Amino acid sequence: MTTEAQGEHHDPPYMMIFAVLLIMTMGEVGFAFLSLPKFWLALGLCVMAVWKALLVALYYMHLRWEPRRLWILVAAPLPLVVILITAVLTEF
Amino acid sequence: MTSHATSAEQNMMVPDLTFEPGMKVFNMKLGMWVFLLSEVMFFTSLIGSYVILRFAHPDHFPEPGVVLNVPLTAFNTFFLICSSVTMVKAFAAIQKGDQQKFKLWLLGTILIGAAFVGIQAYEYSLLVAEHFGPSAAGYAPVGRGMEEGGPIVGGPLYGATFYTMTGFHGAHVSIGVLCLIFVLIQAMRGKYTAADHRGVEVIGLYWHFVDLVWIVLFTIVYLI
Amino acid sequence: MATHAATAEGHATGAGHDEHHKLSFIRTYIFSTDHKMIAKQFLLASLLFLLIGGILAGLVRWQLGFPGQPIPFIGSMFSDTTAPGGIILPEFYNSLVTMHATFMIFFAIMPLLVGVWGNFLIPLQIGAPDMAFPRLNTASFWISVPAGILMLASFFVEGGAAGAGWTSYAPLSANPEYSGVHMGQVLWLVSLIILGFSSLTGAVNYITTIINMRAPGMTWFRMPLPTWSLFVTSWLLLLAIPILTGGLIMLLFDQTIGTGFFNPATDGEPLLWQHIFWYFGHPEVYILILPAMGLVSEVISNRARKPIFGYHAMVLAIISIAFLGWVVWGHHMFQSGMNPLLGTSFMISTIIIAVPSAIKVFNWLGTLWKGDIHFDVPMLHALAFVAMFIIGGLSGIFMASAPVDIPIHDTYFIVAHIHYVLFGGSLFGIFAGITFWFPKMFGRMMSPKLGKIHFWVTIFAYNAVFFPMHNLGLRNHMRRIYDPNSYEYLQPLQGLNTFISIAAFILIAGQMIFAFSFFYSMFFGEKAEQNPWKSNTLEWTAAGHPPGHGNFPGGTPHVYRGPYEYSSPESNEDFLPQGVPPEPVRRGAVPREPGFLPTGD
Repeated sequence: MTTEAQGEHHDPPYMMIFAVLLIMTMGEVGFAFLSLPKFWLALGLCVMAVWKALLVALYYMHLRWEPRRLWILVAAPLPLVVILITAVLTEF
Repeated sequence: MTSHATSAEQNMMVPDLTFEPGMKVFNMKLGMWVFLLSEVMFFTSLIGSYVILRFAHPDHFPEPGVVLNVPLTAFNTFFLICSSVTMVKAFAAIQKGDQQKFKLWLLGTILIGAAFVGIQAYEYSLLVAEHFGPSAAGYAPVGRGMEEGGPIVGGPLYGATFYTMTGFHGAHVSIGVLCLIFVLIQAMRGKYTAADHRGVEVIGLYWHFVDLVWIVLFTIVYLI
Repeated sequence: MATHAATAEGHATGAGHDEHHKLSFIRTYIFSTDHKMIAKQFLLASLLFLLIGGILAGLVRWQLGFPGQPIPFIGSMFSDTTAPGGIILPEFYNSLVTMHATFMIFFAIMPLLVGVWGNFLIPLQIGAPDMAFPRLNTASFWISVPAGILMLASFFVEGGAAGAGWTSYAPLSANPEYSGVHMGQVLWLVSLIILGFSSLTGAVNYITTIINMRAPGMTWFRMPLPTWSLFVTSWLLLLAIPILTGGLIMLLFDQTIGTGFFNPATDGEPLLWQHIFWYFGHPEVYILILPAMGLVSEVISNRARKPIFGYHAMVLAIISIAFLGWVVWGHHMFQSGMNPLLGTSFMISTIIIAVPSAIKVFNWLGTLWKGDIHFDVPMLHALAFVAMFIIGGLSGIFMASAPVDIPIHDTYFIVAHIHYVLFGGSLFGIFAGITFWFPKMFGRMMSPKLGKIHFWVTIFAYNAVFFPMHNLGLRNHMRRIYDPNSYEYLQPLQGLNTFISIAAFILIAGQMIFAFSFFYSMFFGEKAEQNPWKSNTLEWTAAGHPPGHGNFPGGTPHVYRGPYEYSSPESNEDFLPQGVPPEPVRRGAVPREPGFLPTGD
């Protein structure tokens, strides 16, 4: 890890991620209007949304190249999100 | 580190070695990440309430596309994703020290971000005209393409959750646009260089986070 | 280590020298970016709110002790909508109860613990020249000022201040028609939303500072316990406050633009508000006690001249409390009609969380065991903390059990419990902290004589106020009731209520001794030496006295050992500061008894 510029640069594949995000968004819109059971629609859409969100976090927010300890820090609130929503959902 | 450990990694400025090695990233970036974690919790309380209320009262929430204009918003989503890619392009340009490209990409990000907010305001105005408002008293949409006076679609929880979630997301985008304008002014004064462009990276984190939230919101509000 | 040392010396010049030119009055005292000045600002502001909260408590106790009688001395000052002729109206009583809790929790105890000690101690104890973001730190204080002003202003708007309780349960708080308060409730909500930003900026600052700005050698397990507890508390703040902010915003929309999130009239869910509130509210409980535990650990170890018993266990207990604190919120809602399966799991997790708290208590006792105990004022407060926290913790176990909670829910038993942990716990911890670090803050010692008088008055009056409340609660005296005499079965308790009220007035009056001593000692107290408590931590041994801008005049200090090496055999003195290198210390001293061996490392 030096601050000096090195000879060769490899940018992360920004444009490819952009293309994937666009295609997945179009795919999502199409998928939402298929005549499938509601459960499978919701599940499929959630999986695609999480996938897209991960792509943004890993490549655009450069999480992929960050130290492992930052990953742990970033993951901290995720269990709390799950706990809150699932616990309260059992009420209704 | 992988062979991809590249320009992105080089620019994680080495923290001040006067101190015990902590997170191995510079303070401002760590601070932004920590702040974003609290943003995750903030949107959790809004989105979580939506999920719970929808689960408790499914009859309040009509099928996708019945009230909301999905094609318009899909177009808007495209805009926001574009603004994310222009932002990383600006970051990549300043990493190489290309001031001209950096400012252009940054300006592009600001314009596209502002356009997103504009389209959202336009969408709101259309929805309000169709009697789809946030308050329980003002809630009377009949669905897109239906004649006035028909049966009301959904219930008031739909309007309340929709406007709260998308409204606070829109507010975040607006704040992001203001911050980017500030960064652009600093860039004009030549504050950012290939050696030190921490401000750009940090505002980029915020901007991509806002994009990330929209990815989730678009799916669960408009499509499910 | 060696490389750190080398680079640190290379950079050492940077720390102390930048701010030598004299700053203007405004930059020094008002919009200061110096963490120590911001800590003092928080201290004065929150002591003011502590006084206001105390006065509100006094009014509440007047109504309960002497129902329907005019308030003496100040009764004629009240308007006709609050207390005509000095007789408190029921609506005003609701506002008093609500605002007492709001001021005490959000504007007094929270800033006294987190705002004051987070700002003052963190950079000094980890060896940093200032916070990671000094200007954000200034903002953190000045954001909280409008919040306080709005909250105070709510007393003077139409309909009076919020009266739905500090928990603001919906739909009472969601619809102006139910509580009769609209503007006051709106101001309450807006004020807490603004205050949330203040806490948030503070938390971001503390976390970044502790992670990234520890002096060389200040490893995680060499950090003093106050800093550890503030670090964990900051995480709780960071992740819990936004949840409340989201809930407050939805409630604000319910009040103002007529959304129906929590209003059953439009299919909203009042239970959702309770879940959101307590999902914030339970971590909040630990926000209010963990920093006090940290302060007390420091004082007890120092004043018993012994290493803290089980340092690692203490740290792990703090961390596990923070984790478990996220899965116990439902124990506030056993009576809400929640899913019984959920209730049982909350009951079990709540009983489990008593384990780390008990570990801490036993470690304090272990630290005291065979210690060379100095009964100075900070130590008296710290010991009172431990004793009162045990009582509060035991009554907590009662409530954790859902079947036992059914009869005592919403009675004075709960009031007794909350005051045993929040006054007996947090506030005694705060008094221990203020009296301990006062010399570092103001360069003078607090008067020990006045301090002891204040302590003994407080501990006796305090127990006279709150211990009988257990009894009231077990006889089903409702919490937040305006006139208990309206129920026949509560009429025999009037004598006890009057006794509690008189004790409460003595308690409030006793705090004036502290206020006098605080300001008197600030200007006329005995001048403090560099290290009056013979402490090991960096703020006493390495920092200037009082520390100027940049804290460490000789550059960033180096740390060689843990913070509680008291009575160490490696040193001829009975303390061994963190910043003293191992080499020059004379060896050969034999441990006096096996019990005095320093822990580990």
